[in-house]
Amino acid sequence: MRQKPKRRHLGSGNVSFRPDKALWGGSMMAVSLCRRFSTLLRVSGVLRQLPAAGLSGLSPNLLHKSTKIEPVYQCNFLHTTLSRKGLEEFFDEPKNWGETVVKSGDEWHASLLRNKSHEDLHKLWYVLLKEKNMLLTLQQEAKRQSLPMPSPERLEKVEKSMGRIDLVIKERETALRLLQTGHEKPQPGDWRNDFLGRTYWYRYKEWPIPWYLNSRHKRRKFFYTSRVNYFIRLRLEKYLKKQSRRKSLEKKKKLLLQKKFPHLAAQSKN
Amino acid sequence: MASASRARKVIYPLYQLGNPQLRIFRPNFFMTLVRPGVPQPEDTVQFRVSMQMTRVDVKNYLEKIYKVPVSVVRTRIQYGANNKRNYKNQKMKQPDYKVAYVQLGQGQTFQFPNLFPEKDQTPEPGSVEDIQKRFMEEEIKMQKPDPRRGGVTDWFGL
Repeated sequence: MRQKPKRRHLGSGNVSFRPDKALWGGSMMAVSLCRRFSTLLRVSGVLRQLPAAGLSGLSPNLLHKSTKIEPVYQCNFLHTTLSRKGLEEFFDEPKNWGETVVKSGDEWHASLLRNKSHEDLHKLWYVLLKEKNMLLTLQQEAKRQSLPMPSPERLEKVEKSMGRIDLVIKERETALRLLQTGHEKPQPGDWRNDFLGRTYWYRYKEWPIPWYLNSRHKRRKFFYTSRVNYFIRLRLEKYLKKQSRRKSLEKKKKLLLQKKFPHLAAQSKN
Repeated sequence: MASASRARKVIYPLYQLGNPQLRIFRPNFFMTLVRPGVPQPEDTVQFRVSMQMTRVDVKNYLEKIYKVPVSVVRTRIQYGANNKRNYKNQKMKQPDYKVAYVQLGQGQTFQFPNLFPEKDQTPEPGSVEDIQKRFMEEEIKMQKPDPRRGGVTDWFGL
C-alpha cells in the first residue's frame, strides 16, 4: 500500500558512524584519516571536474589500491513510481486478483507525517486517494458478487492515514495563522450566551446587509435576564448530580467486584 | 473542489462572473468504478461518485488525477431503497448515491475485468497447508456415520 521513503544515506565523504567504546582510539584515528581523504577527494574532484569514481587512477600514491572509492552523492537519486496509466488504477494489481489475503504495510502515523514537507503531504494525499478509490471499487464488486472482500482492513488504514494528513496540514495552517495574525481559528468568533444562559462559541460571518436592517438577526438574543439565574442554578445542579451519581455507581461496582473476587482484590492492593 | 478546511459537506457558492473555477486541490471526493447493471456502450464507464460532485468535478478528477481522456459526463442520483425494515420494524432508508456515466475520449474503450477469477488453491505437497487440509479431510471422513448401518443412530445397538 505505501512506499516507505528510503533512508537518506549520507555521502561517503561524511563519516557517520558511532565509534564503539572499546575501539575508541583506533576508530578516532580512522575517522580523522577518512576525513582527510574525503577532503582531498572533494578538492581534487572540484579541480578536475571529473566524477569521483575516476579518481583512484589519478592519485595512486594517495590511496591503497584495494580500497574501493564510492562516488560522493549529495542527494538521492530521482525516484519515481511505476506509472500505471488510466482506469487500471481503479483496480488492484492483476496478481492480487482472486487472492483471499493481500498483504499491506503499516498506516501512516502523525509523527511520521510531521517530518514531511507540504508538497510531500499533498503527493501522498493523491496516492492514498487512488488507493481508497481502488479499495472502494473492490469492496463494491465483492458485495455485488456476494464474496468476502480480500483484506478489508486496508480501507480503514487508508482512511486513518488520510485523516492524519489532514490533521498535520491543519496544524501547520494554524501555526502559520498564529504567526501572521495571532488568531487561533480560521473563522473569528467569541463566546456568547443565549437567552437561557448557555454559553457557546459564536462564529462571525459575512452578511449581505448590515445587522440593523436584518430583522431575523435582530430577533436573536445574546443575553439573559436575572430571572434565568434560578434555572442556570438548577441546570448546574442537575449536571453535578449526574456526575456524582456516575462516580458513586462506579465505586459501587468496584466494591462489588472486589467482594466477588477477594483474591484479585488482594492482588490489586499489593 | 474541496476546500482545504475539508468541510464535511461541500456547498458551492453561487457562481458569479470572475469567481474561480472548480479546481482540484486535495479533494476529499471518492469515486467507485462499478460494473454497469444495464449494458452500456463500449466507451462508457459507470461510477458511483460523492454526492457533492458535479459533472465538471468528475471530468476534472479523471483528467487531472487519473490522466484519462473524458469527452462527456452524465450524472443522476439513485434513490436508495426504502422498503427495508429493522428488527424494531422501523423503516430503514438506504443512502442515496450519485451515478456518473463517463464517456471516454480519443476512441478509448473499457471493459470491467473479472476481479475474482477462479484460482486453483492446491497447496504444495509437504507444506503446512497441505498437512492441515489432509488432516481436515480425514477428520470429516471419521465423523461421517458408517454407511453400512443404513442411517441407524450410533447409540442404538451394541
